[in-house]
Amino acid sequence: MAYEDQFVNSGAAGETEYNSQAEVNEAEATADAYVVENYAKEAYEHKSSLNDEQIKQLSKKRISKGELKRQSVLLIIGAIFVLYGILFYYLPLAGWIMAFQNFKLKTGLLHSKFVGFDKFKFMFEFDTFEYALETSGNIFSAFKTWINNVVFVRTIRNTIGMGALNLVTTFIMAIVFAILLNEVKNKLGKRLVQTISYLPHFLSWIIVCGIIHDSLSSTGIINDVLRFFHIVDDSYNFFAHPAWFWPIVAFSNVWKETGWNAIIYLAAITAIDPSLYEAAEIDGAGRWGKIRYITLPSISPTIVILLVMNIGFLLNAGFEVQYLLGNGLVQDVSQTIDIYVLNWGVGQTDYSLGTAAGIFKSVVAILLIVISNSVVKKLGQESLF
Amino acid sequence: MKMKKFIALGMAGMLSAATLVGCDNGNTGVVTPVDGEEVGGGEDVSGGEADGSGNLVTTTEYADDEIVDFTMFAAMPGSEINDGNDIQEIIAKKTGVRVKETWLTGQTAAEAVGSILASGDLPDFIDGGDGMKELYEADTLVAWDPYLEKYPNLKEMFSDYEWDMFRQDDGKIYWANVFNNTYGESKATGHNDEAFWIQVRVLEWAGYPEIKTMDEYFDLLEKYYAENKSFQDAEGNTINIIPYTILCDDWRYFCLENAPQFLDGYPNDGSVIVDPKTMKIVDYNTTPTAKVYFSKLNEEYNKGIVDKEFATQTYDEYIAKLSTGAVLGMVDQNWDFNYTITPIFATSGLADLGCEYVPLGLTVEGVTEQRWHTYGDTVNQSSGCAVTTSCEDPDRAFQFLNDILNQDIHDLRFWGVEGVDYLVDEDGMFYRTQEMRDKLNDTGYKASHVCNYSYMPQWLGTSKDGKNAMQPAEQASEFYAGLSEPLSNCFKAYNAGGYPDMIGSVEDDINATHPWFPMWSWSNELNNDTAGGVAWGKMGETKHKWLPKVVMASDFEKEWSSYMDAYNACKPEDFLNEAQEVLDGRMEAYEASK
Repeated sequence: MAYEDQFVNSGAAGETEYNSQAEVNEAEATADAYVVENYAKEAYEHKSSLNDEQIKQLSKKRISKGELKRQSVLLIIGAIFVLYGILFYYLPLAGWIMAFQNFKLKTGLLHSKFVGFDKFKFMFEFDTFEYALETSGNIFSAFKTWINNVVFVRTIRNTIGMGALNLVTTFIMAIVFAILLNEVKNKLGKRLVQTISYLPHFLSWIIVCGIIHDSLSSTGIINDVLRFFHIVDDSYNFFAHPAWFWPIVAFSNVWKETGWNAIIYLAAITAIDPSLYEAAEIDGAGRWGKIRYITLPSISPTIVILLVMNIGFLLNAGFEVQYLLGNGLVQDVSQTIDIYVLNWGVGQTDYSLGTAAGIFKSVVAILLIVISNSVVKKLGQESLF
Repeated sequence: MKMKKFIALGMAGMLSAATLVGCDNGNTGVVTPVDGEEVGGGEDVSGGEADGSGNLVTTTEYADDEIVDFTMFAAMPGSEINDGNDIQEIIAKKTGVRVKETWLTGQTAAEAVGSILASGDLPDFIDGGDGMKELYEADTLVAWDPYLEKYPNLKEMFSDYEWDMFRQDDGKIYWANVFNNTYGESKATGHNDEAFWIQVRVLEWAGYPEIKTMDEYFDLLEKYYAENKSFQDAEGNTINIIPYTILCDDWRYFCLENAPQFLDGYPNDGSVIVDPKTMKIVDYNTTPTAKVYFSKLNEEYNKGIVDKEFATQTYDEYIAKLSTGAVLGMVDQNWDFNYTITPIFATSGLADLGCEYVPLGLTVEGVTEQRWHTYGDTVNQSSGCAVTTSCEDPDRAFQFLNDILNQDIHDLRFWGVEGVDYLVDEDGMFYRTQEMRDKLNDTGYKASHVCNYSYMPQWLGTSKDGKNAMQPAEQASEFYAGLSEPLSNCFKAYNAGGYPDMIGSVEDDINATHPWFPMWSWSNELNNDTAGGVAWGKMGETKHKWLPKVVMASDFEKEWSSYMDAYNACKPEDFLNEAQEVLDGRMEAYEASK
């Protein structure tokens, strides 16, 4: 709160100051480059009351020939990155045209037949939904029928479901782990635990899935333990029950990524000014109080930024884990959009269908990131853009 | 810091040293004796023989810098051989071509071909399996036609009628299937197809009874299991017995899915039954036999005879289970497990305990004739070995395909080097000593020494010398000498000359009685372009989910009817109608060719 007040005050003070300076500036037709630059910068930083046109004028003046020369190196470096972006991120988007064609390798991108939104219709089978809506009259039961009957819609549900579950579990676990680790006083122990905990990150999914599959199998360690304590009489087949699949995937993610994700929070925690802790201690805060009132608020900008970024990756719920751990019995809950693309796009050489599914995924990801970003902005937290 | 760097460097050094040492051992140890003498010997003999029968002889020797390196991808799982493999080098010297083969890993064939096409990174040779059509449609294959005239060994592979089957809609030939092609008289002693397999010791224990139906088969497994819950392997470990398992991992779920067609006595058309009397397509997923089969599996599952984990096991886990000798029986294609399991059983001593599998040709009650084993060459025109447009010298590539059919090179590929891998007796018959057989069962030795080029043109049947078998597995003496004692006792007890006799299928040449055969060469090529293809995709997805569920159900009838509802929602009729059209088309072409 105090910080915000300070910010508002300085902002207000700044505004009046710049207003007067701006007037001076207008009066003086030949303002030197330094002053102009400073204005633009300050105007940007503190949302001064200069109107848009004034800002525009000011920033226009900045690009003089001398300026270009001085910044030539930066410009070249910048141009390289812009070029890279165009070449590798924007040009390939032309391939999206495939989604609206019946793409055949023989006819290629230029001569394949255009089919409009047919591929999207094939994926979503809207008529199933409409029919269900007509017959039941209830939008929820229609949705249910739609999900139950249309593979792609089911994969969307699975992707979002597993994505959200993974996000929540890995996210919370990483923060909790980082805070707990920070409380460890023994330096050697702390280092050791941290190092070991992020090692699984470097294992490939195929190895992790092998380990998970083995330990959950009938002769695996989990079943051995369950049998030893007579919780089950006969070994329990975890992969035969759809209800277990999402938790298993979430657990695999937590096991693999917690240590790695915690690194960034640990870094944020080390950056906290120790005097804050000392002050809290004098005020009578215990360990819990210090976590609650110092550590968490101090790393909250980091948490929020990472949250927004991760929400953008929500639809990347995974491919390998589900592909490697899934089987026929649980396919209704295991298949993700990526697996759909593999089976129905690449597997049936229907690249148009695969592209269409990919477009859908990108659009949803962009929407998610924009929405979550604006929510965060509204809440007054630091945001991505 | 310095200390850390030093340690890191040291580790790196040790690692690379270790790899280097590893390589040295792998190569030099074996190469020297072979390079030294045996090459010459092998050449003389085969050269002489080939002259006698009027065949092309490979006489030129290519120098190292003249040898061209080609690449090949086969859309099948396989094991890569080592660089500098002995026989690969000998063949390279004789033909001037060395081919690096890579195999399918963890994908399906269609996925692999799809990604190869998408990346545009084609090998020189390719066998795309189910994905051949896509390769053709993408204009990535070189037509065989001009080269067929130029290279007689290739031309000889098929009759004109058979070659015509390979023609695509532009009238040209782009690939040739390399399997199931018999030269001269057939010497087949193996059964490479699907069957209900059973361990020899179970039959031996029961006094070699006649097993003709599924009920008898499961009865026997139940009885055996009641008295033998576990056994001791050769190393003294106690292994718990799994009476019956079913593989249903990804595309390999045929082990669960397609038995109903065989149980009704039909051959492996793969995706449908063709009724030869009416020439109509029958869907084997919905026949009464299918229900009988799955309800039997369900019954056995609830009795604890079927492996509790069958639905969730991966192929690797399945193979691991089989290799311990724990599994008494299952349905599978021979090629899907036996090439891996036989050498393992031989080295681990399980073969002597009677763990090896023999095939049984089962039916449902009332069906007397069955066709689990297919007699006669089935030409699978849907896939084969092809040369791609990214091959810089296609003529050289075709010349190589031609050369490796020369008898001397063919012998090198399948028999190996004379004096090292096989010996010749005074009658000119090839044979191996037990030591040679053991050595050839060793995977490490195989990788460094044997080079089959197994997805390139080859022959079965009788060698061009008129005596030996083209491939050792079909050499009668080799077959019997290689049998473990329990296995040969079993063959004797049933008075069987080989695996096909154990099954006892109808011995008609399939080409004469079933000219459309097999329908799977069509259904493997289906994609989203037709309603039937979409239905086929959906049927597969539905069966993947429901068949294991049906087997594991506590209330079979209820689960079965839910499955039937889900199945019918996939519009199987679209698929069946297309199948009927294809069948009619094939029959028309056949009638026209007569």
